[in-house]
Amino acid sequence: GNETNILEEQMRSFKGGNPDDVISEDDLPFTRIRLTSDDEEDEIHAVRTEHAWVVDIPDARQTTVMLRWLKQSGLETPSMAHLKRIRRQGDKMTILLAYTRDCLDLPTLPPDVDLPQPYVIAVPCSAALTLMSLAHKNTYWPTVYAPRRKNETEEWSRGKVMWAYEAMIRVMKAAQQAQQMGELPTATYVPIPYDEGTRIATQLTEPIFAHDTRQSQAHPLRHAILNVVRTIADLRASPKNTENSAVSATTSSETQAVAAPSSLPIPIENDADANDVSPRNGAHYLLTSLTLFVTHEPCVMCSMALLHSRVKEIFYLVPMNSTGGCGGVACVPKLHGVNHRFGIGRWKDGERIAREYGIGLDSAMDV
Amino acid sequence: MSSVDMPSPAEGTDESEHLRWMREAMNMAEEALAASEVPVGCVFVRDGTIIAKARNRTNELRNATRHAELEAIDEILANKTLTPSIIPYALSDTTLYVTVEPCIMCASALRQMGIKEVFYGCENDRFGGCGSVLGVNSILPHPKHPAYKATGGYLREEAIMILRRFYITENVNAPAPKSKANRVLKTEIPSRPSSRR
Repeated sequence: GNETNILEEQMRSFKGGNPDDVISEDDLPFTRIRLTSDDEEDEIHAVRTEHAWVVDIPDARQTTVMLRWLKQSGLETPSMAHLKRIRRQGDKMTILLAYTRDCLDLPTLPPDVDLPQPYVIAVPCSAALTLMSLAHKNTYWPTVYAPRRKNETEEWSRGKVMWAYEAMIRVMKAAQQAQQMGELPTATYVPIPYDEGTRIATQLTEPIFAHDTRQSQAHPLRHAILNVVRTIADLRASPKNTENSAVSATTSSETQAVAAPSSLPIPIENDADANDVSPRNGAHYLLTSLTLFVTHEPCVMCSMALLHSRVKEIFYLVPMNSTGGCGGVACVPKLHGVNHRFGIGRWKDGERIAREYGIGLDSAMDV
Repeated sequence: MSSVDMPSPAEGTDESEHLRWMREAMNMAEEALAASEVPVGCVFVRDGTIIAKARNRTNELRNATRHAELEAIDEILANKTLTPSIIPYALSDTTLYVTVEPCIMCASALRQMGIKEVFYGCENDRFGGCGSVLGVNSILPHPKHPAYKATGGYLREEAIMILRRFYITENVNAPAPKSKANRVLKTEIPSRPSSRR
């Protein structure tokens, strides 16, 4: 109920015009937090590596057999796509088998090929963005050169920007409602994905809200994000959903009670023979491919909860510089070692907008 | 003071007690393994008594955040005898024994709950929040919550071996299951890298 609402006013300026127009990066209502820096890569000591199993190939004729075997071995993962499969050093050939994190123990090679014992070496974690970095990375293992194109970050259309504004306005209202109920004014919102492909893949047909409930539940960890993760997990685990019917979520923030885990049915996860329209195993019950909007930058606990849940990207309005885990006191998806990255967008002018909605918070608070 | 000190001989008087509690945590990890969950278990100890024990339930609940520590914290807070009133730091007189170094999420949760101290089995190189990936327990500054000490190395070899026993069996619940048919159980355990001291 505010006459001069900044968010709604800004959103109006995008109205009219073709929804498929691409909006330039500078005109987007948020700033993306960079998780990697191209320039940093030019120092050899900055090359990030992890350990992988490799095996020397004494006879070049074994290569074809080994490559064919690898394809069927289950050892290959998409996260190795930036590494070449074979390294040649003079006459010596070596084949990359698997990351040690994916294969803790010595890989067993096909019995009919006579090969020495596999061993572990360090290989680069990502493709080379510059030629300098390529030269450095190749000293570890032959790496793919993938220079950043001008618009490498995902393009946003006018329609998608409107979708994001709508989501941000809804999450602000949910936070106001939470405050009226005596809770902390923080809320989170997972909208139905903008593009149809993601809508089908995620099977999310209703948006999901949650707000902070640490006051009413007398539980310091009932943050909005943990609540929304639990809500989505419960939906994914409901028997209805394992029968491939649409997700029917309760969408009102008032009914966002956190179910007792013990009351949940044990889900029946379909395996390989699940029906054809279902997404890859796993996309069912985590936040894979989903975008999350939240009023305040999530604390370190919630940032890691989002990483564990494989969220695609998050947008927050108010930065929490001394407690936040998405650019504040730490940037969790940027850490070396973690096995998933998610995108972070910080809404422009967040503090002013938050004041307008009256959802200010003590800066020492974990959201 | 390093946040991931190994037990020192000066603290020797308590060692057998720490190992006794860690044995209880290991029993919970065994329970997790039997239920096809990533085998991590924990116990919370207050005044020489276990007040809660829990294990990972991430697969069962289809919720990647339901780690042993958070399960146990919920149990403690839901119990009116253990948590009679709303106080800022409900775990300030409680010690955690957990078979694997708490992840970044749990390490932050424990700090927000004001945990007294943490003892763990093996380090966690992918997610560890008590020094391995991020020092959420003490090095990371926080405007309000006090730091806590986290000490690893209790039943470390057993904690590693039970994880290996899990990863060698097929995890049909993992988001992208990979065939582990070719894997054999490795039994030698490397010592901790000196760089982490």
